[in-house]
Amino acid sequence: METTVDETRIVELIVRTLRALGEEGVVDLDGVEPTATTDLFGAEGLLDSIGLVSLVVAVEEALDDELGIRVGLADDRALSQRHSPYRTVSSLAGYAAGLAPAG
Amino acid sequence: MTIGHHVVGRMTAGSDPAPDATAPDTTAPQDPGAGSVPAAPGPIDFLLDGFAAVPDAEALVWRGVSHTYGFLADRVGDMGRRLDEALLPPAAVVSLEADFSPNAVALLLALIRRRCVVVPLSSAVAGDRDAFRAVAEVEWIIELGGDDDTVVVTPTGRAASHDLLATLRGRRHPGLVLFSSGSTGASKAAVHDLVPLLDKFRVPKRTLRTVAFLLFDHIGGVNTLLYTLSNGGCVITVSDRTPDAVCAAIARHRAELLPTSPTFLNLLLAGEAHTRHDLTTLRTITYGTEPMSENTLRRVHAVLPDVKLQQTYGLSELGILRSQSRGPDSLWVRIGGEGYELRVVDGLLEIKARAAILGYLNAPSPVTADGWFRTGDAVEVDGEWIKILGRRSEIVNVGGEKVYPAEVEGVVLEMPGVAEAAVHAERNAITGQLVALRVRLHDPEPVADFRRRLTAYCRERLARFKIPQKVTIVDGPLHSERFKVMRGRSASE
Repeated sequence: METTVDETRIVELIVRTLRALGEEGVVDLDGVEPTATTDLFGAEGLLDSIGLVSLVVAVEEALDDELGIRVGLADDRALSQRHSPYRTVSSLAGYAAGLAPAG
Repeated sequence: MTIGHHVVGRMTAGSDPAPDATAPDTTAPQDPGAGSVPAAPGPIDFLLDGFAAVPDAEALVWRGVSHTYGFLADRVGDMGRRLDEALLPPAAVVSLEADFSPNAVALLLALIRRRCVVVPLSSAVAGDRDAFRAVAEVEWIIELGGDDDTVVVTPTGRAASHDLLATLRGRRHPGLVLFSSGSTGASKAAVHDLVPLLDKFRVPKRTLRTVAFLLFDHIGGVNTLLYTLSNGGCVITVSDRTPDAVCAAIARHRAELLPTSPTFLNLLLAGEAHTRHDLTTLRTITYGTEPMSENTLRRVHAVLPDVKLQQTYGLSELGILRSQSRGPDSLWVRIGGEGYELRVVDGLLEIKARAAILGYLNAPSPVTADGWFRTGDAVEVDGEWIKILGRRSEIVNVGGEKVYPAEVEGVVLEMPGVAEAAVHAERNAITGQLVALRVRLHDPEPVADFRRRLTAYCRERLARFKIPQKVTIVDGPLHSERFKVMRGRSASE
């Protein structure tokens, strides 16, 4: 069975989720319009740890609801990657796509 | 496991009362097979003396019918004779499987008089009954039920041998085994010596008409019963513990005191049952068994301004401590009283009690070498006042910041349309734990819409790290039969 996950769809999903969280006041986007290259967490990051947890939980739920993908994005495995998956929107999308069941 | 499952005694509420219920108990002070010895003062003589003083006063309302102290005293005598006929020996370990009823109360007293170790088991533990009987090494089972309060007495063939049970027998004291309804882990069987536990009821207090809301096998239920009966009050039993049924019982039977739980009060507020019943006789609501949130307390005070709200602090292991609230809507309390000492170690409350349990039947002693019981409750201290924040095991730790479920639940419960709320910790690798919320709503609502208004509502009322990050809407109740919040699995499990 082919279940190729389209990484760009996940990027789009994360951007949309992040924007929604900004509108709901869960995270403070500080006027930034999120894109694939938006820095999420780290020295230049948009989010603090609580904002990051909120984003990750919301993205997990959206992946399940919209794409039928069930993945854990905030477990020890995510934190033990050589490069943090939380650097940017696209790095998080890439990490999620890598976990999703491939074809 | 039950051996020899045959019925050896059966009696119903309609049986003839015996004429002389307060005669000296000849079974209690002697061992089986021993010759007649002079009767020593029995552990419940003071109660029966009190009953004899007010024979026509209402003692117990069961299924809407009143029974007097005279009736109850007779019934204690009847039940003693039934136990004789069943050949149930003094100092036996006996499960009393019942909810509040005339025969249940009479049997409890008759068994105490016989120096038995009583193991009350209510319908709330029906699923665990066999396991609880085994843990408590129950030798005799007494089951009550039905519209006629039928009593069935059955020996199990088991012989209790636990050291703690032997200790009670050695002291020739009656005992009480209470199972903790711990939200995490297995229930622990706490063994009490009833002699010191009964002692505090010898001091006369106010006579009150009291709703027996807390269950028969709960320390709060036992306390309600003994307090009310030792002061000539009236125990108003309820078989349905929903807010409407309880409020109807208060109105019908003119109850003055309702000992209950914060969860029950939340459900009362959510369903507005207080608006449908006349609660003018109600003078005091005591609440305990779980932490109260400031929001819930404030709201109860607003809708029932004439009712005194009093926090109690009780544990299966220690009994109920006396407590005094700083104000009607304050969570700060002074607890303790005679026979109790308190200290706070590492933010956790420890208590030294004269009437503390002997120990657990199925777990190591909860008491430190120097006699302090570790409650596991996190508290704040302000001079002589303390505020109970919650079980340490239920605290959510968000990146080092502590979140107490009751505080968050109290805010969520204020939101329109929310019927019940339960907060628990969920693991995540970024902040260690996150605040997860399960919520039951009055009307269906998409989770995204609820989350949006949740965030908006909480932002003005809670620090950011306390705002639930994960939300699940559930259909079923979020409380147990004991009206305690079921917060589900904590992250530490």
